[in-house]
Amino acid sequence: MSQGRLTRRTMIRLTLTGASLPLSGHAFAQDEGPVIAVANYPLAYFAERLVGDLAEVLFPVPPGTDPSFWRPSIADISAMQAAQVIALNGAGFSDWTTKVSLPRARIIDTSAGFADAYIATETITHSHGEAGTHSHTGTASYTWLDFGLAARQADALAARLIRAMPQSEATISTNLLALNADLAALDAAAKALRAPLAATASHPRYQYFGRAYGLEISAMEWDAQEEVSEDQWQALEQKISESGATLFIWEATPSDDARARIATLGLTDVVFPPLAQAPASGDFISEMTKSITMIAQSLDA
Amino acid sequence: MNALILALAYLRFNWIRSLVLVAVAALILAVPIVSQVLLSGSRAALTDRAEATPLVLGSRGSQLDLVMNALYFSADRAEPVTMAVADAVWDTGLGIPIPMNTAFETNDARIIGTSIDYFDFRNLKLAEGRGLAVLGEAVLGADVAARLSLGAGDTVVSSPQNLFDLDGVYPLELNIVGVLAPTGTPDDEAVFTDIKTSWVISGIGHGHDSVLDAQADEGDIVAAASTLQFNRITPDNIDSFHFHGDPATYPVSAILFVPNDARASTILRGRYLDPENPVQVIVPRDVIGDLVDRIFRIKTLLDAVSLIIGTAALAAIALAIFLSYRLRAREMQTAFKLGARRGTITRLLAAETIILLSSALFISFLLILAVQTRGDKIVAWLLAT
Repeated sequence: MSQGRLTRRTMIRLTLTGASLPLSGHAFAQDEGPVIAVANYPLAYFAERLVGDLAEVLFPVPPGTDPSFWRPSIADISAMQAAQVIALNGAGFSDWTTKVSLPRARIIDTSAGFADAYIATETITHSHGEAGTHSHTGTASYTWLDFGLAARQADALAARLIRAMPQSEATISTNLLALNADLAALDAAAKALRAPLAATASHPRYQYFGRAYGLEISAMEWDAQEEVSEDQWQALEQKISESGATLFIWEATPSDDARARIATLGLTDVVFPPLAQAPASGDFISEMTKSITMIAQSLDA
Repeated sequence: MNALILALAYLRFNWIRSLVLVAVAALILAVPIVSQVLLSGSRAALTDRAEATPLVLGSRGSQLDLVMNALYFSADRAEPVTMAVADAVWDTGLGIPIPMNTAFETNDARIIGTSIDYFDFRNLKLAEGRGLAVLGEAVLGADVAARLSLGAGDTVVSSPQNLFDLDGVYPLELNIVGVLAPTGTPDDEAVFTDIKTSWVISGIGHGHDSVLDAQADEGDIVAAASTLQFNRITPDNIDSFHFHGDPATYPVSAILFVPNDARASTILRGRYLDPENPVQVIVPRDVIGDLVDRIFRIKTLLDAVSLIIGTAALAAIALAIFLSYRLRAREMQTAFKLGARRGTITRLLAAETIILLSSALFISFLLILAVQTRGDKIVAWLLAT
């Protein structure tokens, strides 16, 4: 895939640039052509669609690594610092950004415009010494699974790209229209699902999808590619009995045994990769379309 | 030649008197020029930096305190504003805000918590190591690094804000990752960290042992007063660091603002004209221009005082030399009786005077040269204290 090659090539060049910065004494200088660093695959895809060949897209998370849990190396950080635009998902998606130094002037938080639409997750409360208790409130971060919100992220990214590359405004604007049309088609397809519906997911990734398209999705804390323990199966049975779920959503393709066991519980299952990481084949639109089609077919079956 | 040898022998024999005369004369000659050098340097340093800084936002109050703290890292600080102010001006799209938290010190150097946009803005270059990358790192200004003999790979510890505040801000050990090339500005005297690191120093962010007991039921919290907080950020514990509260409420001493153009600058200034607004926008060039004008009005007075004192001191030196000649009247008479002509005696006295004045001139030249060479550093230090 051209994007993969581009991303790796950019990564190598920027990593080398970052590694040589201390030697040249220009660690803070921007001296390369347009580079757009992104925090997850949806943003990488949006950026690719928006800029085409006008700029290179840097998605530094290695294949097979979940961007939600990725921790950048110093070379990764140097490479991102050298980018002209750093596109973050926001909603707490890349919590490593709170621990690294990035140039504010080049950052775009693509979901900041709909911060009031974030979905809060569970809260942990604890205390230190005399200071009393305090809380850590989580936020569901897979915002792009609501394709309406994904379009708003694309809008925000496009606006920031135009600010960074004003000479390319016409191209970016035209590309944005095409991208938003594709996202609108996805949104329409998801809205056509036979909802309301109770479902259970292998991992809590689908909060925005569920809210946007009328699915009541409870979630397990499973790694789809690891063997499911008997305790976890029992917990699932309990959850099904409480929620009345008829659909099970896998984050990644599980073992055949696991799928067979799901069937014995009376559930229809589908594999719906949330695409925080790039798919092995296809792209954001084609893979999302495939997932929505599979859900629709399983509901109609 | 004989007169010079005899004069030197005499001055050496009376070395205390000679030394005092040379020192006093050297100071009288050097002080006006040194003060001129420092004042000119201060004016240049003040105005150059002020003109290179388009706008400063901060708490309404003393404009001078705000500018001196934001630009020259002086100890006098205005009340902090919050990150909400930086976010608000960022949202205007009129330019780039660069937040600064100057609340802390280490080894008598101010810790400047900022975003790495600051380094681009001031065009700071690295002389050693690399730039800031993760929480807990610091980059030293050139003079701080030289004074403390520290470089990449060393550490510095933030100073407590109050010696008696034992339960207050935790000292944080900062990992030095780079040293900046000298600039002859207050940046040489500062220790730079990411602004998030400065919030860790202030206690807003912290890292600690896990508060979830592996033996307890899922979600059970076992944190207590004994929970260990980390005072150094390492690759092993950085994941445990987190911040509390709304980031919009985190403190910021001042915000440098780089507008997109003159129109954006005017629009932003217009939005903060309301005296009821707790935030003000300052044009550093105007504030520092007023300060420099005052300094130079005072300088005129200082020049007059220096002239009077210098004249009086020179008269005192002339008197001392004259009196010493009177005291040496018998010595001269003896020389005359031994066959020395009046011209010889006059040459002897002239040689002594020339040696004294030449020595004073030479020392004053060295003093002026030393001040001129290190003028930037002295001015930066003067402005920061």
